[in-house]
Amino acid sequence: MNEIKTVKVEDIKKEAEAIKCPVERSFYYMNGFLSGPMCGKCFPCSMGSYEARILLKNIMEGTADEDALKRIRRIADDMLVASMCKKGKDTAKFILEWLDEGVFRKHIEGLCPERTCRAFIEYRIIAEKCTMCGDCHKACKYGAIHGEKAVAFRSGYQPFEIRQGICTRCGECIKVCPAGAIILTDAKSREAVGV
Amino acid sequence: MSKTVTVTIDGKEVKVPEGANLIDAAASAGIHIPNLCHVKGMKGIGACRMCLVEMEGMKAPLIGCTTKVKDGMKVNTKTENVEEVRKFVIDLILSMHPLDCMTCTKAGVCTLQRYAYEYGIKESSFTRKKFGYPVDEANPFIKRDPDYCILCGRCVRVCREQGTNVLDFMGRGVGSKIATAMDRPLQDSACTFCGSCVDACPVNALLEADRWRKGREWDYTKTASVCLSCGNGCDIVASSKDDSVIKINSGAEDGSVTKYICATGRFGFESASSDIRVTTPMKKVNGALEETTWKDALAVVAEKLKKSAGKTGIISTAGILNQDAFVLSKLASDVIRTKNVDTTASLYADADSMKFSDAADLDNTDVIVLAGLNTSQHARVLPALDAGIRKAVSRGAKLIVINAGETEIAPAAAINVVSDEAKAFAQLAKALMGKGAKADKKVEAAVSGVHVSEDMEKAAEMVAAAKSAAIFCAPSLFNAARNISLLQDVKVIAVPYEANARGAVIMGLTTEGKTYSEMASGGVSVLYAIGEVPVTKRPNVDFLIAQTSYMTELAKQADVVLPAATYLESDGTITGYLGRDKDLKKAVKPAGDSKQHKSIFIDISKTMGSPIKASAAEMKSAHESHKPEFHAFEKKKGLDAKAADLIGSLNKCALEHSKLLWLKEAKAGV
Repeated sequence: MNEIKTVKVEDIKKEAEAIKCPVERSFYYMNGFLSGPMCGKCFPCSMGSYEARILLKNIMEGTADEDALKRIRRIADDMLVASMCKKGKDTAKFILEWLDEGVFRKHIEGLCPERTCRAFIEYRIIAEKCTMCGDCHKACKYGAIHGEKAVAFRSGYQPFEIRQGICTRCGECIKVCPAGAIILTDAKSREAVGV
Repeated sequence: MSKTVTVTIDGKEVKVPEGANLIDAAASAGIHIPNLCHVKGMKGIGACRMCLVEMEGMKAPLIGCTTKVKDGMKVNTKTENVEEVRKFVIDLILSMHPLDCMTCTKAGVCTLQRYAYEYGIKESSFTRKKFGYPVDEANPFIKRDPDYCILCGRCVRVCREQGTNVLDFMGRGVGSKIATAMDRPLQDSACTFCGSCVDACPVNALLEADRWRKGREWDYTKTASVCLSCGNGCDIVASSKDDSVIKINSGAEDGSVTKYICATGRFGFESASSDIRVTTPMKKVNGALEETTWKDALAVVAEKLKKSAGKTGIISTAGILNQDAFVLSKLASDVIRTKNVDTTASLYADADSMKFSDAADLDNTDVIVLAGLNTSQHARVLPALDAGIRKAVSRGAKLIVINAGETEIAPAAAINVVSDEAKAFAQLAKALMGKGAKADKKVEAAVSGVHVSEDMEKAAEMVAAAKSAAIFCAPSLFNAARNISLLQDVKVIAVPYEANARGAVIMGLTTEGKTYSEMASGGVSVLYAIGEVPVTKRPNVDFLIAQTSYMTELAKQADVVLPAATYLESDGTITGYLGRDKDLKKAVKPAGDSKQHKSIFIDISKTMGSPIKASAAEMKSAHESHKPEFHAFEKKKGLDAKAADLIGSLNKCALEHSKLLWLKEAKAGV
């Protein structure tokens, strides 16, 4: 018969730990928890983790305010006390373990120190360096790079450009650019940052 | 019987029965432990975590609704730790609640509102969530608004326990909602519209459909009374405002589901203010009924009754109160001087079964035998008994169903025997004697040649092992069933189809002269019909008096119509099928000029010149004890009125002149 795959809290934790940014990591975990092992039997866990996911998402997207941190801490504290089973208590523990105040606050201020949260970074093509080879255009799975490959002996070509609305910040374009014309920048200051 | 233990709650020492949970224990000390998902009288599930308390010497908090008290326990209900959890939970729930207390019907009795107030949470500190679920208001009884739902699951558990099992969670966690199978509207599900879920809902998610802007709880005058629609005589609480009934709830304490009422009891009250109601006396003038005064109507009635005396027949429903029945029997014997008095109870019950049924308590019965009764919540045939039995079964009691035909409750039964009921009792008796029950010579002789079937053998095993067994049977089977109580301590209850059949019989309304059926088809010169008797065609009599609350078919053909008060407008008692006297209190004043039956009887006697002096002391004790005697194992003949048909025709006016009509039409439309 149909075998129901049960995802365990530990599995999600393991997957989440591969993610460097603690905000993104917590969000990934919470998302996995809510769509998998969360049973919904007790209020603090089912409602608390749902709220935590919203808050983490807000932080990741740069729309959260200072209070979000306090709220997440409160959710974790209360879930640890009041959850019915170990799953809820473990979740609370993970949140607390990863709740690095400094990093979270930086996010709220508009900076992801790991340069992974997409709301805080932008990939840009330096026009002067672009050779219009079209490799990045080919590599981009999302069609976020706009431009036309240069053909020899013809003029009027514009350098390639990245459409920020479509770009998912996957970073594939950087890897293929032979001219080193693509850089990662801070979304706020538009200054280049190291990868 | 039950032991008590001593626990200390917030420094207060209380003695509570062993096995009670902490919430109930605290309540007996006057301390309220907040809770959202707990339903009084049901097993706790510990979902909302509002009832967390801390025990001295223990690090982790305890759950109030699922923890049983232990001797010497010391519990603190208001520590910082648990109060924070409560605030947290309320805060989270408020983040997805509409927060429109100012226009909410449940304001004042809403549990969420209460705790938000107690903890001073004006609005949620968390992200606002809105789901915008559609409201289910396609039926005229129950409105479901999932936006208000706090997902406590009380309705789900109540519905499941009473065996209807219509509601369940769809999804899990915050995005889930309470829904019927396939998320269909209630009328497309197996819902019986009993409204138990409405009583269970702590917020505004489940509500009587037309309640909005008809007053909140604090506007109402609450009156505990009894519903007289069928044999179960359920406890109800009527809420009235400006002398009209607004709603009816089950008669259990707030938040408890120990008592069930059906759609008829909950929604049928509207008929009392519909246009079919009779509010003034009427007499026939030139072949048409015309309104008249009480004085005139009484004079006409008195004159006729005086003349006909012994040729008078009085028929009544058994849905009248003890006091009414008592005065009626005096009126018949002392004033009118006729022996022809009978009630509709004689259609399905003999005097023995009504007088000598035992008193029982469904909740404490562990083996239930249901014989000859096809109870049904869907068809509303003794629905409260059906719900009560199913509830007992879901709490671990065993059910044995014996019926000559198929029954609706059979799937809930441990043993279902389809056979002749009387013969089955003979088999049960024989099997019980083989298991070391007290021997009785007469029974032994009667069952000597009986072959015991395998099922009955198993049933006997269950009955023999029972701590407290009860047989609920149709009145015609009472004598056969009572033989079992000669062998073993078993309670035998004949279940009548009308609320006060037992009381009416005890008060003296038994067949002495002509029977109900004889009178209902003529055979007397003056017929005095009391209540909504199930007769539609005027029998061949010289004069017909109809004393009724409603303009029934019979009343339309009567010579005089005397307007009677409904049960919600009467004071008195009834003797329920479980053998207990229940009080009825006037919820509203009798409509128009109508009067309670007993006042009309007294008025008639005064007009006739020999007033009845009714005194409570004279009323016979309702519980005549009687030693069981052996009777043959056979079904009593002539008592074959069908429960469903009889209950339906007795309640015809209520069923067809209130919201309940919708049920009938919806069923016909399918």
